[in-house]
Amino acid sequence: MSQTSGNAPVGRVVATETLPAGTHQFFFWSAIDTPIGIGAIVRVDDGAGRSVYAVVVDGKGYSDLASPLHEVVVAQGDPAGDRAPTRRTEVRLWTAAVLRQDPEEPVQPVPLADVRLATKEDVEVALRMDAYVRGERPTGIPIGVYRAGGLSAPVCMDADFLLGPESAHLNISGVSGLATKTSAVEFLLASIFQRLPAHKGSVAAVCFNVKGPDLCFLDQPGELTDADRELYAVLGIDPRPFDRVRYLAPFRADGVNLNTLRSHPDLVADVQPLVWGLREVLGFHEVLLNRDDIDAKADGFLDFLVDRVVEKEFRDEWGTTHRVQSFADLDRLFRAIFDGLEQAGRSDIWRTHHIATIRKVRNRLLNISTRCKGLVTDDGSVSDLPFGEFEDRTVYVLDVAGMDQVAQDLVFTRVVSTLREHLERRALGVDHVIVFVDELNKYAPGDGQDTYVRKMLLDISERGRYLGLVLFAAQQFRSQVHRRVVGNAGTVLFGRMDMDELATPGYQVLSPATKIKLATLPKGELMVRHPHFTQPVFVRFPRPAVMSGPTGTKRFPPSSDVSFEEAVVRQLTAMDRRIPAGRVRDLIAGRRDADVRRTLLATKRARPDDPFEYFRAALGPAVARERVAARREGVPLRSVEDPYAP
Amino acid sequence: MKLAHLADIHLGFRQYHRLTPNGINQREADVAAAFRRAIDGVVRAAPDMVIIAGDLFNSVRPSNPAILHSFNLLSTLRAALPRAPIVVIAGNHDTPRSVETGTILRLFEAVEGVSVVAERPKDLVFDDLDVTVTCVPHTAWLSGARPTLTPPDSSGRHVLVTHGEVAGVLRRDATALEHGGALVDPGELHADRWDYIALGHYHVAHQVADNAWYSGSLEYVSSNPWGELQDEEREGRPGQKGWLLVDLTDRLEVQFQSVALARHIVDLPPIHAASLAPAEVDAEIVAHVEACAPGLDDQIVRQVVFDIPRPIARDLDHERIRAFKAGALHFHLDLRRPVPHREIGVGAPGVRQTLTDVLTEYLGRRPLDADVDRPSLVDLGVRYMQAVEQGLREE
Repeated sequence: MSQTSGNAPVGRVVATETLPAGTHQFFFWSAIDTPIGIGAIVRVDDGAGRSVYAVVVDGKGYSDLASPLHEVVVAQGDPAGDRAPTRRTEVRLWTAAVLRQDPEEPVQPVPLADVRLATKEDVEVALRMDAYVRGERPTGIPIGVYRAGGLSAPVCMDADFLLGPESAHLNISGVSGLATKTSAVEFLLASIFQRLPAHKGSVAAVCFNVKGPDLCFLDQPGELTDADRELYAVLGIDPRPFDRVRYLAPFRADGVNLNTLRSHPDLVADVQPLVWGLREVLGFHEVLLNRDDIDAKADGFLDFLVDRVVEKEFRDEWGTTHRVQSFADLDRLFRAIFDGLEQAGRSDIWRTHHIATIRKVRNRLLNISTRCKGLVTDDGSVSDLPFGEFEDRTVYVLDVAGMDQVAQDLVFTRVVSTLREHLERRALGVDHVIVFVDELNKYAPGDGQDTYVRKMLLDISERGRYLGLVLFAAQQFRSQVHRRVVGNAGTVLFGRMDMDELATPGYQVLSPATKIKLATLPKGELMVRHPHFTQPVFVRFPRPAVMSGPTGTKRFPPSSDVSFEEAVVRQLTAMDRRIPAGRVRDLIAGRRDADVRRTLLATKRARPDDPFEYFRAALGPAVARERVAARREGVPLRSVEDPYAP
Repeated sequence: MKLAHLADIHLGFRQYHRLTPNGINQREADVAAAFRRAIDGVVRAAPDMVIIAGDLFNSVRPSNPAILHSFNLLSTLRAALPRAPIVVIAGNHDTPRSVETGTILRLFEAVEGVSVVAERPKDLVFDDLDVTVTCVPHTAWLSGARPTLTPPDSSGRHVLVTHGEVAGVLRRDATALEHGGALVDPGELHADRWDYIALGHYHVAHQVADNAWYSGSLEYVSSNPWGELQDEEREGRPGQKGWLLVDLTDRLEVQFQSVALARHIVDLPPIHAASLAPAEVDAEIVAHVEACAPGLDDQIVRQVVFDIPRPIARDLDHERIRAFKAGALHFHLDLRRPVPHREIGVGAPGVRQTLTDVLTEYLGRRPLDADVDRPSLVDLGVRYMQAVEQGLREE
């Protein structure tokens, strides 16, 4: 550890009775013309082997003027009037919060010594990065560059505290519209993918695109400035888009046009449909059904359906065996119950459940496939994330931006629950999964009634680090998110903040100057809180090397919805440009939409070498349709002699 | 709404050598008669629709009498049930191997009220009955891309008609299962989406799912009628052939409609002849024939004799057996040899059996006439062997 430095002192520690130098905070003065500012890291050496590292959290300037009145009297009340005959002595007094003392014990007040700006090595020591960026098994993940006095030093987080098992989760706050939150997460994901060491295992990311085109172009290169490239060079990260991105989006209500802004013909082939059936949905009926509406009786009947009917051989009282695997099957079961009860007479009870309860549950359940049309199918077709076959360093983007809020909740809940189940069994395909969700205040609000989604987020934030399930969440107002969710985030990032938000109790630990800096933070800068950093640190991060949403939609304008036939043609030809559109049109002419939709889904899911041939085979032969006219009374045919007559 | 479900009529089927006075194969005439009786039954039941789920004919090129007979009976049906459509699909027997052969079923397309689906799957929409019949003939399963069997998006009832073997549904020892049928995965049927599935190919009436049935054939028209008989016993309908009357009005109701047969298929109780002399086997055969309820005349009868060695079989009373064969339409004496067994590893290593030991063992198990005393025979054999050995030593 460096005890001396070649750089000149920029200040000196002062201690008075009213402003004493403490163990965790001290004051120092500097020249008027100084590179020191809020967030600067400084070092104090006592010359006897003791060094103190600190970050500047506040600054004041004042003169020997006894009171403002004296200045007014001298100028005779006229700001353009006489000046003081001598130049007043002006002082820059800074408040610094101690980051680290070396040696750590005994903890003593900061010595009254020279203050120097930290060097690159000092930054490492001050932020305790020396424990994890070096050695045989380094775990440093670059988050940004610390800059002060012409110094650019990389700041790294500890992967053990970012992805678990020591601590986990990341929360980022910031006002909307500055492209800070999403950009920071995109950059951080690239940093993790490139720098996570092999001994930490494999990692994938699941990103929920909940608004606009933010995450729709992660595989396309973005525009970078020279300054960005310089930052990438300092951080040791290759500025390139993600190598492997898998996009999933539900269909629109027509069941064939994809509900995504990544619908440009050049890109849509990479988008896999996200389609679920009854089995995928019913386990999460609590998300979809309004708890105020579903009473205990309906709940009981729902449990009966889940436990005894769905995915099982179920024989009703009228001798029919049902195997309910889709919403259509479920509807058939309900119809059988209603028909059976009607024929049985006046009975209105079926297996202790009143027919009114059964009708209510039927209406609510079957309504799901209507409300979530495009995501939930009647016929049980499924196209899902590759649970069990997740690939290392791959981003899975679920574009749910165009979906109804309830459907978004369903997607979020089911995906995260299924990830958790697979990780518990160590059967996901990767060791860590980062789940990125924006607008966390919507999913885990601090007030309001308890929801299934919030309960699940709480569970992840409290248990996820043991499983390798890591939550990267972003929101505009941290104060509006459930305290336990944000409290469990090991790493917290702050972009530019709203002053009202900074006035809330959660920010009391910050000095007024830090708050002001947060409120005016430029684009591309963050304040970082990390378990190894005893004080928040300001860093600058480069623009992500991927195409931004607005640029992407300009360069790849989304296709407008087209007819069913055209949508099928486009999606097949996008998979293989050699497929003649005319052949596709001929093939699907006169076919049932449901059959074509199901086959297209299977083809996109299978990604065969020859998509057209696969599609043709899976579609099967055309079923011609003939309307047979009712028989007319006609002339009877004459019979011939019976050839077998004895 | 009621429909009549028939299948596997196999008109033109010929078996055995007995001819009618008109020179027609007797079994062909039997099959034709069974079809006539079935049509009479259908007319009496007056369904709203008649479905023939494949194999109307036994071959791609049926005999002229078979064609004329089918024409007559379909005309009869049309005249008796003027409002009931008749739906016919092709099965594996009446589907040509090559396209240029063409199908005789096309002939019936010319008859008003008869809808024939012989090659590609087709939805037949009967608005007046509010029913759509999806027809999937045998060849549709074999032409590369397999059809998707889901009901069309239309209201009303939906009926699926197809011809093939539903995989895994029939027992592996379902001996009457015909070879050559298309294999259909149960999942492909989507049984729960149809109001009724009319299946053809398996010759014994059999319920595949709540709403899916094989109607079975109207006569014993396979090369293994005994196997069909065994399967019918398992189904609780031994010796019964017929068709299904399906009521779709409220809840699905399926009734088996038996058809009187021209003759019985009799499988006499088996004889185990391992330790029997020829005369004893003869006596058991006679006893079984005399106990045969319908008698032997003009019936189709089988007598299985297990574990009968060739010498014993040779010494049976074949003159009497020929008389049985002359009386019955077909008398099949099925003589099955004992399963050959090999002696492995007898005696201590390196110690060979003597010739006398071999002789004693052989005579101890050789089949003998009833009047021969085995111990005496063995003694005699051993004495002869000792005499030969003595002679050799003296030389």
